[in-house]
Amino acid sequence: MAQLGKGKLNYRCPSCFMRDLDIDMFYNKDTGIYSCIRCQFRGTEEQVLAGNEDVRKKYGAMYKRFDKFDFD
Amino acid sequence: MADKFIVNIIHRPEMVPEYSATVTGQGKEEDIGDKALITESLDIFKTQQRLAHENGLKCTIQMTYAALFNDEAVEIAKHDHEVYGDEIALSLLGLPCEEFREKYKTKDFCIWMFSMEDKKAIVNDVFEKFYDRFGFYPESTGSYYMDADLTNYIKEKYPSVKCAVATCWEEGPKAYHTCNNSWYTLFDGGPWAPWIPSKQNTHAPAANKEEDSGIVAIPHLSRDLLACYDGNGSNFGTHPQNVLRGMIYDTKTWEYPYLYNLIDQYRDLEKYNNGYAYNMMFVGPGWMNKMGRWEQPYELLLKSYTDGCAYYGKLKKEGKLVDMTMSEFADYYREKKGVNAGNYNEPECAPWRDILYGSDKQVFWYCDPYMRACVNMDQGGAIVDLRPYVAKLEWPVGIGTKHVQDASYPFLIQEKYRAGYFTHYAGAGTVRSAKLSYNGEEVDLCLCPTHSHFSEEVIDGKKNRILTLDPVEIQFNGVTVKLQTKEYFEEGASNIKIERNILDISDPNAEVYLDEYITACYGTTEYPEDMTGITLTCEGANPQTIDYEYKCRDAKLLGATAVSAVVPAIQTKVSLTPSAEAEGYIEEGYAFSPMFKLGYKKKIESKEVFATWLNLEKAN
Repeated sequence: MAQLGKGKLNYRCPSCFMRDLDIDMFYNKDTGIYSCIRCQFRGTEEQVLAGNEDVRKKYGAMYKRFDKFDFD
Repeated sequence: MADKFIVNIIHRPEMVPEYSATVTGQGKEEDIGDKALITESLDIFKTQQRLAHENGLKCTIQMTYAALFNDEAVEIAKHDHEVYGDEIALSLLGLPCEEFREKYKTKDFCIWMFSMEDKKAIVNDVFEKFYDRFGFYPESTGSYYMDADLTNYIKEKYPSVKCAVATCWEEGPKAYHTCNNSWYTLFDGGPWAPWIPSKQNTHAPAANKEEDSGIVAIPHLSRDLLACYDGNGSNFGTHPQNVLRGMIYDTKTWEYPYLYNLIDQYRDLEKYNNGYAYNMMFVGPGWMNKMGRWEQPYELLLKSYTDGCAYYGKLKKEGKLVDMTMSEFADYYREKKGVNAGNYNEPECAPWRDILYGSDKQVFWYCDPYMRACVNMDQGGAIVDLRPYVAKLEWPVGIGTKHVQDASYPFLIQEKYRAGYFTHYAGAGTVRSAKLSYNGEEVDLCLCPTHSHFSEEVIDGKKNRILTLDPVEIQFNGVTVKLQTKEYFEEGASNIKIERNILDISDPNAEVYLDEYITACYGTTEYPEDMTGITLTCEGANPQTIDYEYKCRDAKLLGATAVSAVVPAIQTKVSLTPSAEAEGYIEEGYAFSPMFKLGYKKKIESKEVFATWLNLEKAN
């Protein structure tokens, strides 16, 4: 197997992102698998993107526009 | 326009952008003189300038050392100064280039980490190079962090400088962690909004003319005062690509309402700061490179910066925003804050609510020359972060000092690094709170979430900023206590008064006790420091003293006039004083709980008002 490289976009590991770690992933062009060199995450682009949507679940008000910032 | 919301938009032509060299160049040998990279970087700078100008916004162009060797970058700066009124300033970021590497023989690039000798040499070098290119010395400068010795040197040698980007709010161990422990920007504990740094310590605002460093400092970005405190700060600021870094956008529509909520919450702070609020947007070119940035393609990076400029531009057109250059802002700030009239004590106040996670959590940040404090309404008004600026701790940083990288201002309380209310089964965490007890039951106000309302009042001739919390009910078995907390920040007093108003006790004969306490330690990171040398005292007619030796001792004194701790390592004395007679106590910690505790216990009655002051003094 040849060495890992970068994919078309520089995806971060969604599992590490959930614990506040920005870790770039590396890409196996033969298998189409992205892998994290810190944790055990392995996944296709589809799985990475699904993981990123899981990341967003903590942002419960991400789509809300606020017009009041006090509690008066 | 009575109220002013001011924005500083800053761009830097960086010839070798941070991130670009390592991210886009992955798999290649390092080439700091890569012509393609330099061309792309200049293109990004030109794009940023165009987007700001198209929206009617003036900029501060912070020339980097590398850019001073680039004729095109110099010509663009001159042109945009003439045509748009942009300020030409000088950044101490962006040092890396072939010329710098050749001259200084190092890959270091953070000005505060160099030895003092090198700092002086680099400052002389870049300021003189700037003069050669433009024929004048700059009025503004900056870096991610500017240590006091560096600022003092610059101000002495180049007195034209009056404004500097001087810290990045709560960029410390959390940012280090997020970057896989490889990004050494350790400078927690500073102000989140502009301030006048003292000559002794950049984080600590000057209390008077003698302490005035001569510059107005601005933070690198305006950051979310709740999200940044418990997460990666670089996801939650007025930096559109930071919001993308946090993945806080809709992948289908490429919309990010959070960015606008963040700007609008800062706008809202006008209400608490005499009609003044501030934003700063400063995006380095590495964040807009053509290869994209992490999951975001270039088109999304470009869109976000376009939208950011458009939103500020819209606010300006609506008369809701004033754009200034950094040096213009420095003049405005000194006048607005009353510094020109000799008052250095006007605080910065920021009630802040969650605008991202969907909770209704609210905190309040307070900063003046004597302290920075965070009050957490979700924990009943507990103080969860406290930095004793009154000590004006001299803390040299850089090679050759005791703190090569760690530039944080030490805390007495930091709930994320030292547990706060919740600990794992043993020991205690840092917090300033109170407990109520009745018949063997005990309830900490940290478990009584509420909200607060801000007001200003002159009491005995002194200006006070007051937080009035909504009342909470503490339910014991058979007795309910209704209590309201008010917290007073008296201008220039170096204390916080916390008043407990006992609105009602359901059984007037019930014996209910109040325990006002602070659990504290000191440090700058998540890891404990040596507590040896700390002295705890119950002050009064018959004082009791404990010299800290991790022996888990305690002492108490009825009618204590104060309970105090002197912490030599940070030259700080912290104490509590009561409004009425109560039993003061002091508690030493132990190795598994390296804390100290000061407090007052008192039986309380319905309708009673009992207050305690948290006082901070310099001790050396």
